[in-house]
Amino acid sequence: MRRLALVFLLLTAARLVQAGGVVPKFPVAAIAAPLRENAHAVMRLHDETMQVKSVGRTISTVHRVTTIFDEAGAHWASETVYYDEFTSVSYLRGVIYNEAGQGVRQLRASDVHDRSLSDGFSLASSGRGKTVDLQQPTYPYTVEFEYEVVSNNPLFYSSWYPQPAEQLAVEQSSFRVVTPVELPLRFQERHLPAGVSLVRSKVGPFDAYFWEVQNLPAVEDEPDSPPVSEYTPAVLTAPTSFEVQGHAGSLTSWQGLGQWSYDLNAGRDVLPDALKARVAALVQGETDERARIRKVYEFLQANTRYISIQLGIGGWQTFPAASVAGNGYGDCKALTNYCMALLKAADVTAYCALVRADEPDIRTEFPSSQFNHVVLCVPLTRAARPDTVWLECTSQTNPFNYMGSFTGNRHALLVTPEGGKLVRTPSYGATDNRLARLSDVYLDAQGSATASIRARLTGMEQERLSSILHGLSATEQKQRIGDGLPVANFSITKLTLTPDNRAAMPALVQILNLTLPNLAAASGKRVFLTPNLLSRLPSLPAAVGERQTDIWLARAFSHADTVRIHLPATLKPESLPAPVKLTTAFGTYSSQVQTLPDGTLQYIRQLTMPRTRFSRTDYPAYVEFRRKISSADKVQLVLLKTDS
Amino acid sequence: MLTPVLRRLLAVAVVSGAALAPAFGQASPIKFGKIDERDLTAANFAGDSAAEAIVLCDFGRSRFEYIDNDFQVIFERVTRIKILKKSGYDWATVKVPLYHKERREEKMTSLKGFTYNLVNGQVVKDKLASESTFREEASPNVTVRKFTLPNVHEGSVIEYTYTISSDFLFNFQDWQFQNSIPVRWSEYQAVIPKYFDYKMFMQGYEPLAINEHTEGSTQFTLKQNGGFTSGGVNHVATTAETIPVTTKVHRWVMKDVPSLGEEPYMTSARDYVARIDFELAGMQWDGQPYKPLADTWTKIDQELLDDENFGMQLKRGGFLKEQLASIMTKETDLAARVAAVHALVRKSVKYNGTDHYYTSGSLRRTFDQHSGTAGDVNLLLIAALREAGITANPVLLSTRDHGAVNPTFPLLSRFNYVVAHVALPDDKEMLVDATEELLPCGTLPQRCLSHAGRLVMPNVQESRWIDLKPTQRFMEYRQVQLTVDDKGGYTGKVHQEHSGYSAHFEREKLQKIGEKKYIETLAGEHEGWNIPKFAFKERDLLQRPLTLDYEFASAGGDASAATIYLNPLRQFGDEKNPFRREDRRFPVDFGAPVDETVMMTINLPAGYVAEELPKSAVVELPEEGGRYMFTVVPGPTAIQIVSRMNLRKPSYSAEEYVHLREFYNLLLAKQAEKIVLKKKS
Repeated sequence: MRRLALVFLLLTAARLVQAGGVVPKFPVAAIAAPLRENAHAVMRLHDETMQVKSVGRTISTVHRVTTIFDEAGAHWASETVYYDEFTSVSYLRGVIYNEAGQGVRQLRASDVHDRSLSDGFSLASSGRGKTVDLQQPTYPYTVEFEYEVVSNNPLFYSSWYPQPAEQLAVEQSSFRVVTPVELPLRFQERHLPAGVSLVRSKVGPFDAYFWEVQNLPAVEDEPDSPPVSEYTPAVLTAPTSFEVQGHAGSLTSWQGLGQWSYDLNAGRDVLPDALKARVAALVQGETDERARIRKVYEFLQANTRYISIQLGIGGWQTFPAASVAGNGYGDCKALTNYCMALLKAADVTAYCALVRADEPDIRTEFPSSQFNHVVLCVPLTRAARPDTVWLECTSQTNPFNYMGSFTGNRHALLVTPEGGKLVRTPSYGATDNRLARLSDVYLDAQGSATASIRARLTGMEQERLSSILHGLSATEQKQRIGDGLPVANFSITKLTLTPDNRAAMPALVQILNLTLPNLAAASGKRVFLTPNLLSRLPSLPAAVGERQTDIWLARAFSHADTVRIHLPATLKPESLPAPVKLTTAFGTYSSQVQTLPDGTLQYIRQLTMPRTRFSRTDYPAYVEFRRKISSADKVQLVLLKTDS
Repeated sequence: MLTPVLRRLLAVAVVSGAALAPAFGQASPIKFGKIDERDLTAANFAGDSAAEAIVLCDFGRSRFEYIDNDFQVIFERVTRIKILKKSGYDWATVKVPLYHKERREEKMTSLKGFTYNLVNGQVVKDKLASESTFREEASPNVTVRKFTLPNVHEGSVIEYTYTISSDFLFNFQDWQFQNSIPVRWSEYQAVIPKYFDYKMFMQGYEPLAINEHTEGSTQFTLKQNGGFTSGGVNHVATTAETIPVTTKVHRWVMKDVPSLGEEPYMTSARDYVARIDFELAGMQWDGQPYKPLADTWTKIDQELLDDENFGMQLKRGGFLKEQLASIMTKETDLAARVAAVHALVRKSVKYNGTDHYYTSGSLRRTFDQHSGTAGDVNLLLIAALREAGITANPVLLSTRDHGAVNPTFPLLSRFNYVVAHVALPDDKEMLVDATEELLPCGTLPQRCLSHAGRLVMPNVQESRWIDLKPTQRFMEYRQVQLTVDDKGGYTGKVHQEHSGYSAHFEREKLQKIGEKKYIETLAGEHEGWNIPKFAFKERDLLQRPLTLDYEFASAGGDASAATIYLNPLRQFGDEKNPFRREDRRFPVDFGAPVDETVMMTINLPAGYVAEELPKSAVVELPEEGGRYMFTVVPGPTAIQIVSRMNLRKPSYSAEEYVHLREFYNLLLAKQAEKIVLKKKS
């Protein structure tokens, strides 16, 4: 309480000075040296207050002052305040100060641009933003913004990330929540610096919560590290109970959030009778449960497409299944709900499952609205052992029962009549994400070659080629595959990509034929050739200074490459490189070259990396592992010309 | 910029009354709602396996109507598309931008759409529902109408039609025949009453299948006391009156147009796509003289000079007097004064990334705001130069991604940028741009290297075209001292200089990521390298090359090696041929010439000799277009290598593509050759 009063006093004093217009504000010289180090910008002040007005309404005010040192920090001179039909912006003010802290200019109404924040692919979206750009031609300078947002969507409370980005130092940042006693705040503190803790107080019938941090030096992003927001301070908040357009819910447990979502969407899975009959006919006679689901999923993929419509409560509530049946399109909720309805018509029970796709997993210990996508989860009830099928309903090409890098390896909230249940989506490890490749390289006496390559990729390893296959024309496919080839000169003479979804893990077979002019470099009587044609793993930049963050290796894979080099009669190996074998906790690697009985040289390379996390102190060992792989990958064969 | 000209137009066309639908000369190539059922089968598309979708027919026609006292351009369109693959589903979602300003607008009406599918051998037709259409306020002057067609599958045929009625006679609908998917039939018709004289500009690499121009007629009805008024000669109808008008009826058709995609070193796909553009050149009423609007460059120049947001602003640089005072006294040399004014403007106003040739408000406001468009920044520069007693004039141009300007067609709308032209003694001149913080005075940003610009002089008779040929190259120079040890490891010292556009590129990178990350990235590009020492010089002296001196080390094996293989040039050259396609239909446009030199000294470990060395070689492009020179000079303790690549032209024609590709092939092969060192026995 004492601290709060002090801060309030300081703010008041600052305002008074501003009114007088004499004393400089936020002069750059006042920034302590440790905060300038490695920083593109310094947050001089960031005060955010959220007032909970009622179960259905919050008001947030933000006051931020940022000093910008260089071009790389210049984006801090812009601000975009989002709003939509649930939220409105009460005011947005701004001031620019020069290095000395003298006010240069006030933001004018004509500087504020109101624009659609439609993501470009949405057919309709109500998201808009008020944006201002106060970038200046010379550095350093300081910008000050103040704005207020009134929200009728309390599903998303403000969360506080005082240091959200790398190379941003923080002089002072605070977060205050004022809420009626009957609507207690739920919060989770993360990585608060030593000595920083919550200050609670009572203001009339309200509870006040207050956090403040000071003097945080800039942090820097490192390779294979968690995102900055994972290790800098944060306070996440959520309501205990909330109401959006008359739909009340409770957020004290995952069960409660799931219940709200279930109730909001209940009864929207009704299909026209004709369609129900069509589905029944489709699965008639098919007794295997998995096969029935697959037929329905294929029907969905053949008859719908994804169209993003972000309007109204549609952000959480689905369009009725009947509308998808009529139009053949919908967004993720609508298509998932529609597929659930189709399965129901096929006598299979399925549940919508909320996930955070394409981003780090949700925080399971803090029930709150952290999701951005929905998939369908189908527990098999007639299988011999417990099993589950997962369906991505927004893609027309996604393999059956495959979540992959988009939604795999994470948590999902099942939406059931009994409320939410937290479950895990399928995990994909090194044995699932495989690349097996056989290349035959036919070298001629001049060092040019042709190669025929056959690769089979599964799991996450096939995702890139799969999206190339389904997303691009034949010409663009060739071009894109060519972009990724680590060879100086080549022409693609043949390329086919064939999906093979018969096995549990989706697979894709790639046939690639190349002509490779000057593949092997000749020098006098010798010819040099890198037997590792296509799979080079680059080394990591050597660490400058001490590693600060843990090592996150999020993606597991295993690669097996065989390259058979067919030599012309005029070339014989002078020496073969020694085999390399590395076995570490980060992964295993081996490569070797052998001469086959017919004189063909056979190169075999294997690399397996599991999904792991390591302490930062292991980083030098990891760098060394990668360096050894990289240098082994570049090993060269020395061939002698027998006719010279 | 439209405003003053439009105002003039309105003065000419004060009319009232109602129009009859004009008679149309040609039949439509497509009837909305009636598809060819064969288009629903796969057989009709056997040869199109590469495409995700195909435009079967795209038909547009523009004509004039006379409604509510004013002419309107009525544009009707019918488009039919075959969807072949799932990746082509996006073609079923359509966005139509509509412009509005003050009370004039483009309005969309009569939107209809259908999706056709073959279900069990029967054609099933689904209608576009009005709930599936949306409106988005994209910017203050543009509303986007969006719609998506229902029940789209692989094999579906979709079609839609709409009408746009426009109050803007200047924005006569242009037409693009070519697309990123193949087009079977693209047709545009324009019926233009003889009152209106439009300039038409056809471009691209595809032939017209039909190109017809005939005469037709239409009529407009004037109400009582309505009429055409112009230049003191009035035609006012005393009673309702029908006026017959002859029309020009144009018809352009392209058939089987291939798709157009992106390739490396292109300016803008807009430069290559088959399309036709229109600009209103003049008007003429019955019995009255021709009223030219913007039909000559001289006229355009004059209008720009008179425009509030162009020429008028240039006269209002007086407020800069105070800022310029010290420059005026300090810098007496012309070139130095230009540079000082350039520096002042560059440091006073930040370019916000938007390209226009006109100002967005007063120059004074731009100066106070410290931020502005290319038009704001560079017109302020011109005003400041003039205020400092320097002869400076605007040069209009179109940036590389905005597409080329054709000097034979006076179309103001083809420009989107302006820079300053400064006359120097002895008939010399320089072009100056102040949008880039890291470019020296006298060097245009790369985006401006688009061949031709229009110099607008105060006396418009003196206005002329300027060649925007680059004054700078992409230039890199490296001096490398390499010392090899007997284990195959090496240490080295590098002195490198980046000049011209290469300096700009590196300075930007350095500014963005900082010295530490710059060096980390550099080390990361070289296997096993350590860079213990480095120093940048001339980061801020923009007219000098950016220099970097650094030392590096790379460890060798564990034991002394009898034979050592070196491939040192690979560390300092390109890794991959940028030109992978076998042929190309458009020029390769680098923007500026390229010059890369490496001078290397390799110090041999004691007791070793060079057993094999690459041979010296020269590769030349035809007609002195470029050259690669590789020289090796062996010595007892050291080897000297000089590698120099030179592309002399900023751009190469499509015919030269094959040579350019082969040039890179040979150069990369040469740089890949090895040096073999052997221990003396």
